[in-house]
Amino acid sequence: MSLDLPPTNYLDPVLLQKLGDLELIAREVVEGLRVGSHRSPLKGFSTEFAHHRQYVPGDAIRNIDWRVFGRTERYYTKLYEAETNFDCHLLIDASASMNYASGKVSKLEYAKFLSASLAYIVLKQRDSVGLSVFDSEVRGYLPPRSTMSVLLHIDRMLREAKSVPRTTLSKQLHDSALMMKRRSFVVVISDFFADVDDILSGLDHLRYDGHNVVVMQTLDPYELSFPFNGTWRFEGLEMEDPITTQPERIRKDYLASLQEHRESLRAGCVASHIDYALVDTSRPLDGFLSEFFHERETTMGGGYAAPRQ
Amino acid sequence: MSFLNPLLLIGALGIALPILAHLLNRFQVQRTDWGAMRFLNRNVRVRSRQIKLRDLFLLILRCMTLLLLVIALARPAWTGGSWLPGERRAGVVIAIDASFSMQQGEKGATRFDEALKRIDIIRDKMAPGDPVTLTVMGGDHRVVMRNMAYDHARFDQALLELKAGAGTLDLTNEPKRIARLVADMEAPQKEVYLITDGQAVDWKQPSTQLRDALAELGAQAQVIVTPVTGEEANLAVTDLELVSGVLRKGTTARYRATVRNCGSTPVSNIAVQCRVDGVEIDRKIVPLIKPGTTESISLFLPFHNAGATRITAEVTGDSLTTDNVRRTVAVVRDRVSILCVDGSSGDAGRLVVSALMARAEGNNGEDYVARSIPWLAFPAENLDQIDVIVMADVPEITEQQATQLQRFVRRGNGLIWFAGDNVKGAAWNDRSGSTQSPLLPATISGTVRTSDSLGAGKPLDPNMPDHAVCAPLMSLPEDLLSETRFLSMLKVDPSPTSFPLLQLAGGGGPILLEHALGRGQVFMFTTSAETSWNNMALTPVFPLVMQQIVTYLSGREFERPRSVGDSLTLTYIDQPDANDAVFETPTGETITVPVREVGGQFVALLENAYEDGYYTARVSVQSAGIPIAVNVDPHESDIRCLPQSELRTTLESLGLKMVTNNEELAATIDSTRTGRSAWRIFMIAALAFLLFESLLADRMLARGKSRAKNPLDPHPQNA
Repeated sequence: MSLDLPPTNYLDPVLLQKLGDLELIAREVVEGLRVGSHRSPLKGFSTEFAHHRQYVPGDAIRNIDWRVFGRTERYYTKLYEAETNFDCHLLIDASASMNYASGKVSKLEYAKFLSASLAYIVLKQRDSVGLSVFDSEVRGYLPPRSTMSVLLHIDRMLREAKSVPRTTLSKQLHDSALMMKRRSFVVVISDFFADVDDILSGLDHLRYDGHNVVVMQTLDPYELSFPFNGTWRFEGLEMEDPITTQPERIRKDYLASLQEHRESLRAGCVASHIDYALVDTSRPLDGFLSEFFHERETTMGGGYAAPRQ
Repeated sequence: MSFLNPLLLIGALGIALPILAHLLNRFQVQRTDWGAMRFLNRNVRVRSRQIKLRDLFLLILRCMTLLLLVIALARPAWTGGSWLPGERRAGVVIAIDASFSMQQGEKGATRFDEALKRIDIIRDKMAPGDPVTLTVMGGDHRVVMRNMAYDHARFDQALLELKAGAGTLDLTNEPKRIARLVADMEAPQKEVYLITDGQAVDWKQPSTQLRDALAELGAQAQVIVTPVTGEEANLAVTDLELVSGVLRKGTTARYRATVRNCGSTPVSNIAVQCRVDGVEIDRKIVPLIKPGTTESISLFLPFHNAGATRITAEVTGDSLTTDNVRRTVAVVRDRVSILCVDGSSGDAGRLVVSALMARAEGNNGEDYVARSIPWLAFPAENLDQIDVIVMADVPEITEQQATQLQRFVRRGNGLIWFAGDNVKGAAWNDRSGSTQSPLLPATISGTVRTSDSLGAGKPLDPNMPDHAVCAPLMSLPEDLLSETRFLSMLKVDPSPTSFPLLQLAGGGGPILLEHALGRGQVFMFTTSAETSWNNMALTPVFPLVMQQIVTYLSGREFERPRSVGDSLTLTYIDQPDANDAVFETPTGETITVPVREVGGQFVALLENAYEDGYYTARVSVQSAGIPIAVNVDPHESDIRCLPQSELRTTLESLGLKMVTNNEELAATIDSTRTGRSAWRIFMIAALAFLLFESLLADRMLARGKSRAKNPLDPHPQNA
């Protein structure tokens, strides 16, 4: 189990070396204070002209290039493209259920690896990374920073995160949304073992505040396949009553319930323009990130990326 | 409730197996922390509880299956009211009296036929599969069926082969034999049916041994005695014996036939036929025989030819024919030659010869020769023509002579040995041999004086009055017998195979000992033939005894008739070439019997001659046959039945039931057969539980497999 893990080095150089050629390409460009490599989603506010586009009803009149109109008597709108800084908030669920591990790495540990890797990538792009660790309440908050020393704070906060049973996930999402001053790129890493409606209300809050939200549902392979045989006693990590049963006889019901939950969550995310990705903790982390970024890159410009399953 | 195979109940411990497996399964519960408890939702929890209940239910089903199976195999049975479940079952032992008294009656209506009708009643009450034993009492004690599952056709076939034999009913030992058959049987209820004619001679005053055996049988099973009755008139020829005369060609011997009226009414004008080799030689009419009395008639039989002769005495006009005939065999010789070897200082040889020749007809030519020679001349004698040798006061013999005498006797001849002053006991003991079959019937220890202080010797006392040698002495007047006095005698140590025929009165030592050696006999007098040790030679006792001994010795082994049930032995002089002897029964059946060496002798033994008539013994298939007369036991001829009231009293005192007719028998069976076998019920229940458990388990397993084949997870893994 995860308790046997050696002291974790979240910034594993080997892992980061693998991730070095990858760039987190935001699906939507957020407003930034510093010029970065991301395209700003707020075209027209940038000072760097990109190109002209013929006016179509609905475009802002103030963006019409009257000089071109004077020369050609046609309405053209000026489009700007600017490299901006953005804030990336990593929200990590550290509730007790995240401690489950069928192998050596628990979901929480996998989430820590994942968040550290994401933070490194963001910092490498000279963007800012903030971190929230929550369970029944927000246990730690780190405002976005752009220096690499931030990683040390992130590492410490992740180390200090102690899992406790969770009450509600939506409340923590609401609280996190209130703490974000700027429109940000928000990555929520959790198993989302909570009521789907509550989860979606919290996520919608983030979306209404203009944040670009990515949901990474982190699940253990045993949770996904429920491959137990024989007689097992399941002891809930969040103080639920234990159940002794023969899993092969209830596997169908379990998988159906899990599928229903996942489908509801995914459908809610799609409806709220939230990116959804399923994280299987048995998969190599770099493989997952490569696939995740590749998907985002291919869908960039085509609207919001299709949720991944 | 009882169990027919109670030991199998140990198998009930096997019920621990499914329980143990269940407990082990429970103890082998694997534990894991689990985050996704919300998906083990209420329905799953309910299902889990259902699974627990179902497992418990399966466990109970398995335990019940095992328990019911064990109970079924242990063959549960109970007795009681008709409301009890189970099939009415009983193990039945039918013992039918097949002694010859059961042949009494007209053909088709004999006692045995009536007994078969009783069996029909019992048979009608039996169910296929019931254990049944059918045995014959009397005769060869044959067990026709032993603990077999009842099958109507086979049982009927067995009944067709049943018939009354020529044997007698040994009632004392039959209950024990039947008890062993009952013990072999496994049934909810055991019933024993004794079908007999209830002869008064057997049942009138049952011995303590018989009462105990019947009571013990009654404790083991429900015993129902069903007597059959019939006519009680019966005549029987109970004896046919040689009274006088030497069985020699050209002479006439006198035989005595005894006829008994075993009925309860006088019988008059009874014709008795006497046949020799099937030819009627003599016929006598007995005017009247009162009930329960016997009459003897003398039959004079001339022997014109040498060899084995079949002699038959038969009464006619009696319905029970089996005991109407009495048979014997006479081996008629061409001549009888007696050699007396005299070793005495006096005239022992002369006295012996005089005694042997003291006959009414005198010395009957060359066909009957008795002569005496000095003992020193004995080695030169050719013994081939001698039938009987008398050794009188012979001091000793050589080892070669001892061997010669052994062979002489083993061939079927006779030896008479007398003591005397000259006898060297140690030498005779040495030459007689200390093997299992010595020449003389006793070893010599010394000489003892038997006279009292006044010098009077002790008189003679026949030890075996029925023996052919002793019987004539019993007819002598007592004062004549007591005149014979013995002053001295040898102190001897009899061998185990010998028996005393004459002894001194008042528990004195044996005077005359007999033992068999091969096919011949040896008689040993522990006193002298001349008058120094006794006055026997001067009294009528001496010629009487000597002539009887010669008659006895000159006969052959099979002249003495046997009774049904006796064993027949054929003794060989030397080791035979053939390994088997052959006996032919009166009905023509051939029985091969192996020759065995017993005590230095080679004998073939046919156990249990169960037919009456003439058997024929052959040393090999090709050799000439030796006839052996086998007669029925006259004890069985008294066919009077004990009155039913007396028999009922006797049986009820032992706790046994008695039924007297077919209707009562059927009613008794119906009322007393309460044993029920329930193993089928338990077996069916066990199979039903097993089927139900299998279907349930199979259904659960099928569900489990279908789930395993349809995982919903994109990355399925095995545990």
